[in-house]
Amino acid sequence: MVNAPRVLTYQGVPVWRHIQIIQWAVQVVSAIVVVALVVWFFANIAGAIQERDIPYGFSFLSRAYQTPIGEHFIPYESSDTFLYALGVAASNTAIVAVAGVILATALGIFIGVARLSGNWIVSKLAMVYIEFFRNVPLLVQLFFWFYIVLALPPVREGYVIAGRFYVNNGGISMPWPYAPDLAVALIWVGLAALAIVAGGAVNKRLALRESLTGRSSYPLLSAFAVTLGSGALAWLVLSFATGDSPFFISTPEPQGQFGRIAGGFTARAGLLVLLLGLVIYTASFIAEIVRAGIQSVGRGQTEAARALGLSPLNTLRAVAFPQALRVIIPPLISQFLNLTKNSSLGGAVGFTDLTSVAITMTQTAPAVSIFMSIMGIYLAMSLTWSLIGNLYNRRTRFGGGR
Amino acid sequence: MAAQSAPAAEPLPPPRSEVGVIGWLHANLFNTWYNGVLTVISLAALFLALGFALKWAFMSADWIVVVKLGGRFIIGPYNTEVACPGQNCFWRPQVSLLMVIFLTGMAWGLSGNRTARNIALLFAGVASAFAFLPYSLEAMGWDVRLLLLANLPAVAAGWAVSRYTPLGNGVRIALLGGLVFLLILALLRGLPGTPWLPSVSVIYWGGLMLNLILAVSGITLSLPIGIALALGRRSELPVVKALCVAFIEVFRGVPLITLLFMSQVLVPLAFPEDFPQNSLFRAGVVITLFSSAYMAENVRGGLQSLHFGQAEAARALGLAGWQTTLLISLPQALRNVIPAIVGQFIGLFKDTSLVYIIGMLDMVAIGRTFIQGNPEFLVNARETFVFLALVFWIFTYGMSYISGKVEEHLGVGQR
Repeated sequence: MVNAPRVLTYQGVPVWRHIQIIQWAVQVVSAIVVVALVVWFFANIAGAIQERDIPYGFSFLSRAYQTPIGEHFIPYESSDTFLYALGVAASNTAIVAVAGVILATALGIFIGVARLSGNWIVSKLAMVYIEFFRNVPLLVQLFFWFYIVLALPPVREGYVIAGRFYVNNGGISMPWPYAPDLAVALIWVGLAALAIVAGGAVNKRLALRESLTGRSSYPLLSAFAVTLGSGALAWLVLSFATGDSPFFISTPEPQGQFGRIAGGFTARAGLLVLLLGLVIYTASFIAEIVRAGIQSVGRGQTEAARALGLSPLNTLRAVAFPQALRVIIPPLISQFLNLTKNSSLGGAVGFTDLTSVAITMTQTAPAVSIFMSIMGIYLAMSLTWSLIGNLYNRRTRFGGGR
Repeated sequence: MAAQSAPAAEPLPPPRSEVGVIGWLHANLFNTWYNGVLTVISLAALFLALGFALKWAFMSADWIVVVKLGGRFIIGPYNTEVACPGQNCFWRPQVSLLMVIFLTGMAWGLSGNRTARNIALLFAGVASAFAFLPYSLEAMGWDVRLLLLANLPAVAAGWAVSRYTPLGNGVRIALLGGLVFLLILALLRGLPGTPWLPSVSVIYWGGLMLNLILAVSGITLSLPIGIALALGRRSELPVVKALCVAFIEVFRGVPLITLLFMSQVLVPLAFPEDFPQNSLFRAGVVITLFSSAYMAENVRGGLQSLHFGQAEAARALGLAGWQTTLLISLPQALRNVIPAIVGQFIGLFKDTSLVYIIGMLDMVAIGRTFIQGNPEFLVNARETFVFLALVFWIFTYGMSYISGKVEEHLGVGQR
């Protein structure tokens, strides 16, 4: 007997094993579950708000805040609205973030390079710095600096450094540029920026000529001359035109019988402690990032540069560092983001940052709305950092941009 | 030829300046003139700083706050009269400690290597050394001291149990660890209505105990959640991907203390008023979720570092998608990012100090509130925070030390 030939017919996969159907089902189910959870959560909250008579909504934003803000860099009165007060607090956080990022990057690069130094003791000192400050919570460090500053002598007996810097338990006062006329100052800042751009163009052009012809054209020197010269020229012209210089340096002076310090710029204790803590803490992370970045550059690169006769400093500056930047930038940006978020600990040391103002606000306005707003502000700040990072990344990527 | 007939000349010894101590000094400290200058400056700075620090620590510093707070730093107000009326509840954290030490002993017995032994013995040794603290017997009774001393037999018992019983197996010890953690939570919480184990509200849990409870629960849960989020973010399903990206970016974009504050204000509203919930649980959930968003990015970095050939080879061998992920991609990805993961664990441990914002009394908050409440100790604030910094540093540095050992064991960077 010969079996009838079995005919194989392809009947397709069953519906429940069809990959596209499974994928769609997973997506629909997860979307429904998440949406249902969110709806349930907020519906319950809405119910509780009505039931327990909790204030809600955003109408408070146009009400007067009626509470002073300890430290602020843009003008603020107690009669200003909640919205404006939130803006003032956000500007405080933004200023701390920008100043902290600049200082922490500088210190971090310094420590990171020191960590890689061929000098044993310098390298070990940098390691101790990194391992200690990176491993201790920022809050503990902030409290430590807070009580250090608190233990400084009061204003009248405070330290005076070089006759211009006053250090006491109220903070640090230092000389600071002030603009008598904001418009003139802004015009000069604009012109100065133009001068810098012009200097950059001169540098590029002369460097190109130098590399093409081999004749020394002193690109950096000429660029500095152009920038400084045109900046100074703009300053002189503006001073003659308006009869007053765009900026003057205001020096702090003790006044009156209590020695209160007027003039200059005073970084008050809260700001000082917060900046000190943030910079020292974040620099330890940045140092590790810089170290890893420089180490990621192949050994052959540095060796080749040294073989070509570049000094160690020039090897680092012109060969290793530019290549390391590619590796350094993404984690560096994430540290900037962390610094910005960590500035929310300012309230613990008496600085009126966004979070501490928000917490004070909850006494007179609905907490949920306030915290929704400040989380939005923090998210916006984070996105700004990511945007800057992405732009920079695009420029330094292999083969891209340039 | 002369060269063949004459015996080969002994090579000259290297110059004195290139070997031994002098050679090392020359190579590492004085190889160029600027390095010499740097060395001298750093040495001067080091001696000044060390001299100042030592003089301060042993001559002028007064560690009275640390001595006074002693046990408060470790368990917070747990055994006070308000928390535990009518009896001393100190034995409950102590028995919890015994269980933890027992587990460390088991881990030592399981791995059997020197690092594990040193760590286990160090833990047990330090814990039992606390029994000899020079407090008076009223301040620290015999029962407390004996329970502390029991840590030494506990570590030995753990070692013996994992050596000579079927419990000595990785999976079982891990399960036992989870069980012990839950048991500790139950023991600390107590049973309502029982006279011998009265319930202690979580608002009285504090000190290092609170930091560790939050850190341990956060660490064990944030890694799996983070892995899931990372896989979700790399998924080809747009909805799943969008949900994961939204979660990660929102939790990474805002400060932890605003999330903690929100959880305190918002979450109670979402549940009925009589629903059992507490601030410790909420804080734990928020810290875990916050950390898992970061963990997801670390794991994603590890997954991206893999060559696509790995996954392709696995698929070509006939492994299903989930098998490829679980057996091929994830193990390699996780191994590549151990430092980042441990860094995140350390970050999580440090972040547990932020629970002060919702009024919980962790180790830092204990010190801070004591100084604020007793202005006569204001001058000793520095000592307090130096002490706290050292305690945190010991734990975090220990974590990175262990991770280094694990990396060595797994041969990261070798293969």
